[in-house]
Amino acid sequence: MPMEQLFLLFSGWRWQDVLDIVLNAYILFRLYVLFRGTNVLRVLMAVVAMWIIGRSANAMGLVITNWVMQGVITVATFIIIIVFRNEISGVVRTRSFSFFLWEIPRTQINTPVRIITDAVVKLAGSKIGALIVMPLKTGVDSIIASGVDMNASLSREMLVNIFWPGAPLHDGAAVIQGGKITRAGTILPLSQNRHLASKYGTRHRAALGLTEQSDALVIVVSEERGKVSLVKDNQIHEVRDPDKIETLIKQYTGGPEPVKKMRRQTRELLVAAMVCLLCTTGLWLSFSRGMETLANYDVPIEFMNSDKKMNIIDASASRSRLLISGARPLINALTLDQMSIKISLDGTAVGKNKLVITRQNVQLPPGIRLKNIEPDQVEVTLDAMAEKRVPVQADFSGKLPDGLIMTSISVIPETVKITGGGLTLNAVTTVFTEKIPLENLTTSGFVNVALVMSPATLRPDEKHKKVQIRYTISERKSNDHTES
Amino acid sequence: MPDFNARKSPFGLSRLLIVCGLVGFLFIPAGVGLADQPLMVLADAVVCERISNFRPVNPAVVFSVSQGEVFCFSEFDPVYEKTAIFHNWYKKDKLIFSMRLVLSVPKWASFSRVQMRDADKGPWRVEIRDEDNNILKTLRFSMSD
Repeated sequence: MPMEQLFLLFSGWRWQDVLDIVLNAYILFRLYVLFRGTNVLRVLMAVVAMWIIGRSANAMGLVITNWVMQGVITVATFIIIIVFRNEISGVVRTRSFSFFLWEIPRTQINTPVRIITDAVVKLAGSKIGALIVMPLKTGVDSIIASGVDMNASLSREMLVNIFWPGAPLHDGAAVIQGGKITRAGTILPLSQNRHLASKYGTRHRAALGLTEQSDALVIVVSEERGKVSLVKDNQIHEVRDPDKIETLIKQYTGGPEPVKKMRRQTRELLVAAMVCLLCTTGLWLSFSRGMETLANYDVPIEFMNSDKKMNIIDASASRSRLLISGARPLINALTLDQMSIKISLDGTAVGKNKLVITRQNVQLPPGIRLKNIEPDQVEVTLDAMAEKRVPVQADFSGKLPDGLIMTSISVIPETVKITGGGLTLNAVTTVFTEKIPLENLTTSGFVNVALVMSPATLRPDEKHKKVQIRYTISERKSNDHTES
Repeated sequence: MPDFNARKSPFGLSRLLIVCGLVGFLFIPAGVGLADQPLMVLADAVVCERISNFRPVNPAVVFSVSQGEVFCFSEFDPVYEKTAIFHNWYKKDKLIFSMRLVLSVPKWASFSRVQMRDADKGPWRVEIRDEDNNILKTLRFSMSD
């Protein structure tokens, strides 16, 4: 029985489904690679864990736990954006386009340690103070945001130049990532350690402060004594023999055997890729093999390929009700603009046309199946464009002042040409003007007024969108009221 | 000789004309001239506030509904034989009221009227038509406050 269920789960796959899963797994994997080693990923993991706890709590009926988890997740989303904005923007700014798509960085393995060692020995020999930061797994973007972005190629001369007394950036720390000096002149957080030996100055305290908050390796060159110290994991290691500096840096960063380290990283990335693939497959299965849900949607009918000379003047239905089915998450996420009913007007004629709505006329997102269409046919009345010349009549409103009478009017032009559907035009015998208020008319004169098209599908001639009404106003004669 | 010919020639021409006239008359279908002739001629038509002594009073193109009534007056001169006409009252393009009016020889004036209410405000027209439904005249006016 379980085997049958398993078979059912993986039966009926299309190539699009496989592509769907692989594509999304790759996107997930790329996100992991981008944020690997940063605190963002750790917090994201925590959010995912909270989400799982929340869902489990919901399944078990733990109302308050579920509610709290939902609240925490919502707040955490904002916190990630606000707290880690520097780290996120650092990732986006410092990475190239190819990095977003396919490059995989190796943590400090490719760092030219020889160049750093040479520079450090030179600086120590010249008693030039220096502070060099080499971030490892956790990254330092969220801890240090000050300084100047450099993104300069690493060279002995460049490093010496940065720390040369009097140089603009010599006071801060230089950050080396991969083969580049990414930033210089940065201020590191000072350690609050009270037991620090008095021989150590501010540089050592700053190096210690950074290693308290990250796994970075910091190289300190003392200005007074010309000594080199490697600071890592809250420990200051003074290097007495300059020949050992290179070995020690390799030991702290990539280890003495880069090949072994490389294999470990490759293994880690493979595991991450597998996890991404499994997560996406699970998500896909929950979407596509979940409980079948039915839903009704009233979808607007769209008419295509209409003849430019013809107008749709009436349709028996403007919407059709679609009965659709699919996995509940897909149905819940469905919006009206993802569905459409498109009917071609090819082959239609003036008058009433009956058009059948078939499955081919209905567009639905992948994973959603169509069960029924109601109504499955629509009657469309089409009208060919025609022209007609009709008389214009003035439309007055309000009241003339007492004692006055409007004895005559003339409309210029008397008739106008209007364009519209032939069937509509048949019923039109007069075109009326917009309302002309009578209150202010005391003497004979004229007024220019626009025409009102009814129905609005009619269009007046471009030259005669306005007409002139000339009117004559005179005093009212007061005759006797005898009627014969 | 020349004198004789001169005297005879005019007589022959007039006789030829009479004969042609008679033959031509035979080919004229009976009643053609009478059918084309209108039975009446519309001398005057106006929309007015009232009728006094068979004459329209205050012909106008805008009428206040507060006046209560509006008249359509039409005068035919001459009327060749007894016939009838129609006054068709339209509000916008909708026929509201039609009245048949009989005309008598030799001339005749007639009118129709409608009551004006608040709901009647807007553009109106009266079509004066003959018995064959030909429009003789269209009078356009408005009912306002």
